[in-house]
Amino acid sequence: MPHLPRSEWYDLTRDMNWDLTYVTEDEAFPPALSNSFGVPAEDWWAWDEPYKIAYAEYVHNQAGKDQGLFSVNNVISRSGIFDNLDPGWKAAILAHYGAIAVAEYQASIGESRMGRFGRAAAWRNMATYGTLDEMRHGQLQTYFPYQALHKEPRLDWAHKAYHTNEWGIIAARHVFDDMFTANDAVSTAIQLTFTFETGFTNLQFLGMAADAMKVGDLDFGALISSIQTDEARHAQQGEPTLKVLVKAGKKDVAQNLLDKMFWRAWKLFSLLTGLSMDYYTPIEHRTHSFKEFMEEFINKQFIDQFRDFGLEKPWYWDQLLNEMNWVHHAYHLGVYFWRPTVWWNPVAGVGPEERAWLEEKYPGWNDSFGKYWDVMGENVRAGHPELTLPETFPIVCNSCQVPVCTPAGYAAGYLDSPLPYQLDLGGRRYTFCSEPCKWVFEETPEQFAGHLSIIDRLLGGIIQPPSIEGALAYMGLSPEECGVDGTDYAWAHATAPAKV
Amino acid sequence: MAMFPVQGFVDGDFVLVLALVDDTDPMTVVAEKIAHHSVGKRVAAQDRPMKVKLRGEMQADDATLTSIGAAPLDVLEVVYA
Repeated sequence: MPHLPRSEWYDLTRDMNWDLTYVTEDEAFPPALSNSFGVPAEDWWAWDEPYKIAYAEYVHNQAGKDQGLFSVNNVISRSGIFDNLDPGWKAAILAHYGAIAVAEYQASIGESRMGRFGRAAAWRNMATYGTLDEMRHGQLQTYFPYQALHKEPRLDWAHKAYHTNEWGIIAARHVFDDMFTANDAVSTAIQLTFTFETGFTNLQFLGMAADAMKVGDLDFGALISSIQTDEARHAQQGEPTLKVLVKAGKKDVAQNLLDKMFWRAWKLFSLLTGLSMDYYTPIEHRTHSFKEFMEEFINKQFIDQFRDFGLEKPWYWDQLLNEMNWVHHAYHLGVYFWRPTVWWNPVAGVGPEERAWLEEKYPGWNDSFGKYWDVMGENVRAGHPELTLPETFPIVCNSCQVPVCTPAGYAAGYLDSPLPYQLDLGGRRYTFCSEPCKWVFEETPEQFAGHLSIIDRLLGGIIQPPSIEGALAYMGLSPEECGVDGTDYAWAHATAPAKV
Repeated sequence: MAMFPVQGFVDGDFVLVLALVDDTDPMTVVAEKIAHHSVGKRVAAQDRPMKVKLRGEMQADDATLTSIGAAPLDVLEVVYA
């Protein structure tokens, strides 16, 4: 076998593009699965990935990663490290595994769609690696929690979650189906790899890996670091796809795809990562507030990338900056109050030290959000913890599927009105948490109008009996699996809240 | 009499909740049913009467959802007078 430098044979073996003669282009690349957005077939052949790798190199690298990772797991899983983790960190990783593990496997469906229906051979080659990456991530993030099932049975939600109708999973599935499971190849490259992976997860995984090491969770830290190295590679499918679209005069298409998914990713990110960073991670191990993290790593760095390609900030940019001040604080209140509806034990994270930290990072937090915790804390101290539990359901947004918290934004002085956005369409009333969520829906109403939110299902008689107990059973949560206060209300019995 | 689902919140609370009321309930009762999920749980109680607002308009205490032309899943805001 000749030992040529890779640069001498790579392009030749990679670029297996040819003119179609036996079938039409639409037959080979059906628009529903591929969607060229009017860019001619040959123009796509200029697609060129910035990170090149041959299959033998890929296999060699991945085998090395797995060898290192499983060595760590083999040692750590037999230690007492998990038992000694902070309850907040346990909440964060249980939430992570349930929300992410099977979604990674679903991402392999999106990658394999690009591997078949991507518009250039180079892209299909890259996406094949991406498919294998995402399978690996799905397998790793179900195997690692499986190893610790004897310590925390609800780690089985790493596999179970996406097979249920738990409300947070409905929200995650709604956005991920839109982003990759049921998306065309070109849109997937822009919305999954460029917007979500480059903009959010790549950076999130770096941050989470660092946090995991600080709290002493070596297993999770090694896992996330290893996954991130794959993400950093296959996320680069977005850039050449974007370049082809922009060069062909389709910048408006790319901008629209990016705008829609950046907002959708933000809503999920604020729910999952916002809580983990500002409430679940032990205070002594926090390096950034969620808002600081967003400002530095998402808004500034990612926006620089938008501009490198001639794209603009999304039209709702000011609304995004506004929500960064308050929305995840409201989501945390909601997840805590409705804690039986999640598979982890939320910690309140509002003891005196945490409140001082929150006030420092979010000036005015004690007045705007601390007041709710004051009432709940008084109820706990008075011997009525049942008053911190729900008897009804929050209204959820018909776009992001997350509770509508506009009253919190209004009460905290960030919104002009506490009212949600509504739309009457086809005899149904739809409610939205924000103008961008309504905009996402109205861009393609035929895509979203038939979906039933958890509240629609309750009112439509699908959830029986229509009670908290009926809803918990519908969501796949047995009494033993329902979330409870992660610290047994220690936060409420601590000394009086700090006033800053 | 018929069950009537509304989206409700008490002024100062953080989230909209689903409240099941009756279409013949006077607004004083509607306010109590919405407040049940909020006041004393997340919002401190006040020793003042509660009022209901629909589309920014304060409603009379003896009005009903039927008499004010409310539709299912309309948003009702409960405020202290």
